Formats: sequence, C-alpha cells, structure tokens
Amino acid sequence: MKTLLTLPSIAAMWVLAAVANAGELTVTITDIREARGFLMVALVNSDAAWNDQDKPVAAQKVPAAKGEVKLQFKDLMPGAYAVQVMHDENENNQLDTNFLGIPTEGYGFSNNPNVMRKAHYDEARFDVGVEAANITIRLR
Amino acid sequence: MHRRSFMQSALLASLAAAGRPGFLRAEVLAPTGPERFAAGLAREPWLAGWKSVAVESLGPTPATIEGNWPGSLTGTLYRNGPARFERGALRYRHWFDGDGMMQAWRFRDGRITHAGRMIATGKFMHEEKAGRFEVRAAGTTIPDAIPARNNDSMNTANTAVVKLGQRVFALWEGGSAYEIDPDTLAARGPTTWRSDLVAAPFSAHPLLERDGSAWNFGSLDFFGTTGLIIWRIGADGALARTAVLESQDLGYLHSFAMTEKYLVFTFMPYRMLPDKGSFFERLQFTPDRACRIALVPKDALDAPRWFEAPFAAIYHFADAYEHRGEVVVRAARHRDIEEARAPMAAAMLGERGTPSSNTELVSLRLSLASGRARWDTQGVSGLEFPTFDARTPGDRPALLFAPASVKPANAPFFNAISSIDTRADRVNVHHYGADVMAEEHLFVPRPGSSKPADGWLVGTLLDFGRGRSGVAVLDAARVQDGPLAIAWVPYTVPLGFHGWFAAG
Repeated sequence: MKTLLTLPSIAAMWVLAAVANAGELTVTITDIREARGFLMVALVNSDAAWNDQDKPVAAQKVPAAKGEVKLQFKDLMPGAYAVQVMHDENENNQLDTNFLGIPTEGYGFSNNPNVMRKAHYDEARFDVGVEAANITIRLR
Repeated sequence: MHRRSFMQSALLASLAAAGRPGFLRAEVLAPTGPERFAAGLAREPWLAGWKSVAVESLGPTPATIEGNWPGSLTGTLYRNGPARFERGALRYRHWFDGDGMMQAWRFRDGRITHAGRMIATGKFMHEEKAGRFEVRAAGTTIPDAIPARNNDSMNTANTAVVKLGQRVFALWEGGSAYEIDPDTLAARGPTTWRSDLVAAPFSAHPLLERDGSAWNFGSLDFFGTTGLIIWRIGADGALARTAVLESQDLGYLHSFAMTEKYLVFTFMPYRMLPDKGSFFERLQFTPDRACRIALVPKDALDAPRWFEAPFAAIYHFADAYEHRGEVVVRAARHRDIEEARAPMAAAMLGERGTPSSNTELVSLRLSLASGRARWDTQGVSGLEFPTFDARTPGDRPALLFAPASVKPANAPFFNAISSIDTRADRVNVHHYGADVMAEEHLFVPRPGSSKPADGWLVGTLLDFGRGRSGVAVLDAARVQDGPLAIAWVPYTVPLGFHGWFAAG
C-alpha cells in the first residue's frame, strides 16, 4: 500500500542547488494547526523531483508556528516550480499516516489544488520570473 | 481487497470538481437555499424538522409532562442528528450534511429537562470561525471548498450516539467517533483507539453484547479501497481488537446485524459517477447486481462466508436470529432507491416531495446448509428506524418497534409508532396525530425484569401543529394504548437520526 505522501526529497536532500542570481520566491504557509514540530518545504522544478525521482531545487526545514509562517527561496532561475509542504508535528522526519495510508499530519501544495490525494506536479506548478514572486500555501 | 491508494479515492479525489467555474455559476444562479427553505417553512410547518439550528446550545429547559411518567424510568435519552444546515446564503441539499447536535432528555426525580449542543467537530469549529460552509460535505457540492487533510476534516459526528463503558460517543460513518461529555454534552474530540487508527471510520451503529462489549465496522470504500474494518470494543469502552474484512467490490452499508454467533454485513452494490460532485451526488446504486453478504463468525473474523441475494436498498438492519439452519436478518428496505440515496431531499429544499415511508420490512434468510440467500417480505410497510429488545433469545424473531406512517398525515414523514410481532402476525400501532412526526423509539427494559420486551419505548416527537418537540414513553407491550406520558418543550428541534438511552 502506498502512503499518500512520501517526501524523502525533503528529509534527505539538504544540498541547495547553486543557481545564478535570479528571482526570489516568498512562500507564506497558512492554517498551521500546531506550534510544535517543523515545516518541511521542498521546491522542485520537474515532475521527477515532485515524485522523488530527482533532487529538489531547494528544501527548507523551519520551526512551525501556529497560524502562519513565511520563508524565502532566493536566487531562482526564471521558470516553472512547485512547492510541497509537510508539517512534521512529532519531529519524526515523516508525514504520519494511519493504517490506510491517510495523512494524519498537515500538508499542502502550491496552488492549493482541491484534491484529497497528493497533487500532481502540473496542478502545483507555477512560474517564477525575474521579479520577486509570492505564493500562499494553505496547510490542510 | 482492492487496494487503490488513498490518492485515487473515489469519494475524495473527485470532489475537486467543487471548485470548477461551472459549479460556481450554478450555485449563484440557483434560488438561494435559505430563502427558498424559509418560504417553504411558511407554507409547510412540518419543515421545522429540517430547519437549521442557529445557536450553539439549547437549554437545559424544563419540560411539561402530560400523563404519568413511570417513576422507575430514570436516566438520559441522548439523541443525535444533523442540525446546522445553513450558513450565509448556502443551505445543504442533503439531509446527511448538517452538523451534528447532541441532545439530552434527562428523566430524574420526576422532572424532565431537554438540552442540546452543537458538536464541536473540527469542521464545525472551522466554519464557525469562517462564517460559511467551506468544508466538503457528503451530499452537497460546496463552492470554493478548502482542501481537506483527510476524511475526518469532513466529520460532522451527526448520525448516532452510543455509550460504551462510561464513555459517550457521537458517531458518523466516515470517520472517527467524537467523545462527548455525558453531562455538559461538550465534545472532547475525535477518538483515536490506537495510534495507527487515527481517522479510521467508526460507523454509526455499533451492536452491544450482553456483557456491554461492542462490535462495529467502518467502510473502507471511502478511502479508495474496498472492504471493512471490524472493531471490537471491550465492556470498559477500550479497544480490544480490529480485523479487516476484505471485499472485491464497492458495497455500501450503513449498519449491520448480529446473532449470538455471527456478524452479518450486507453490501449494497453501487458505482460512482465519474468526477462530479459529492459522494451522495455521485453514488449510483446498481440494482441489477446482487447484494453480497458476509457472515462472519465472531470467533473467526478472518473466515467470512459469502452469500448473494438480489439487490436491496437498506440503511437499517434490526434483529438477527438463527433458526432451523438459517440465519435470519430483518431490515427496513427502501423501495425507491433514489429516495434512499437522498432521503427527504425535497424537504431539504423546502418542498413537499417523496415520502420517506416507501419502505417495507424484509427478512434476509441465509441457509447455512445450501449457502443460498433470499429475501422474504413480511407484509408490513411504511416503517423505518427499527429497534428491539436485544435480550430476546437468539433463536427467534424479536418484537420489533418502528415509527410508521398512517393516515391522516399532514407531513410526508412517520407519525405513528408500531410494534411488530411476526410470530403472532400482529402489528399494533399508535397514531400520534396528523400534525406530529415520530422518530426512532428505543426499548428500555423495566428495572428488575429480564423478560424480553418487558419495558418501555422512549421516542421523540415533533408536533408542528403546536410548535413543540417532546419525548413520549409507552408500555412496549401495549403500544396501541398510546403514550403513558409525553414531556414537551416549547420549541422545535430538527428531526435527528438515532439515540441511546443511558439508565441511571
């Protein structure tokens, strides 16, 4: 049985890809239910990376706060990206699920696609240009 | 078991359609739900049974007692049902969508009080703050619904109530049981029976053994797979064990039945319309296909025996017994499968529509020798919410009690209570009146007596002629004599689904 979300790319991948100076992305994460644990945020630019078959462009692990947290990704090449977030409330470096593989901790995707499954890359994809970009991800 | 991943869940994935422009446009152009319902209520006062409760709590209110309430009948009748149907311009279209309200009718020291409290589920609290419905619902497409974490994000805890050990739970069928403070009715939150069972479905009709331990199930269809989880809860209200009953096909079931030896699960075949709307909007029963029935030995949960019988649309199973090599299960069958998909759908819109009483009492007969199954009709129709005395010996049919629909009737709903003795071929009925709607009546044993069916019925009423809700008590052996007493409060509360009587 597959679990809904496996994000080893976030947990394992802390090497930031060095890219030329370019755009800056501010990610606002809202609807954070608990102040405990960490938000694990992965920025990817390919379907392969979205599905853990390649490395993310960047990943951040930041302490959770109830409500809202902002973070930034800098020096991004213009292009298409997608962000996935999980709220590791109990700090075990994974998105906990029940016996059916259903998530029991918070998660979210860029564009906030209204699906109760892992979003597809195409559903979460957005463009970053040379200007600063802002997105809001609502945790579910 | 057909294990598609949760991500492919038939129920949940397709609800993405809620956000499509076409749906939004339709929502805006339709007559606004609350206004249409209010206009209907002005014409049809019985629609008070589907009126949205706007407050967070009611009472406690002293009730006025008519008649002589039995002195030894003390305790609390808990009742649960959907109660918040409207926020802003949106009114739910499916009865099952409303947020649950727990009610308590307390009988103590010769006085009766009524209280109600909206169940503070995660969904309810979120929408209280948001000021609008924005969480997906079971039977209504919600415009601009927010992304949901899992099935419990949609949990309305609105269907039933049970006391297991000393713990009281509000039940839904697609998610966790919500524990309720028995005195204040405040929600204590969703129950996690074991850490790997967070949000696992604990459905609305647990059945109790005589020692107070319980069985229940939860359908796994909602999660992109098939089959059931079977729950065993101890007399102390703690989890004893679980098992998974595998099934190859989608099969809807709302309740189940049990004999002394067996659990009986009847799966009604259905398919889901692709990619449009909420669960009940997409659900299509398939009456051309057979019901599959799992007969599961209580002492061998991994050894089900499967039967097939013609399609039947059933929410509520009643008693089950074993007699002459047959397991017999009784139930209220709906003749109109569209009505079964969305009961009282017209009432939800503020209209008079198809009565919910197009039903009949049936017996499912499973032959242990031949492996064949068939339905028998009993010649009793127009009933729902059947109950019985669970102390009835397991080799014979129990005396059944069920709300019934008789004339004259000014509402398309049950207005009477019946007792059905199929061995004596006798049905006794009390008609509450043309302006009264009758809900489930529970059997309460007379203190000190162990004789089956020796006791009272307690059941709730809505008298729309006089704008009041009440609870009636009848002698279970003499239903036709009418209530011994009725306790009324001077307001109406929406009709609910199921209750639980806690003596004491």
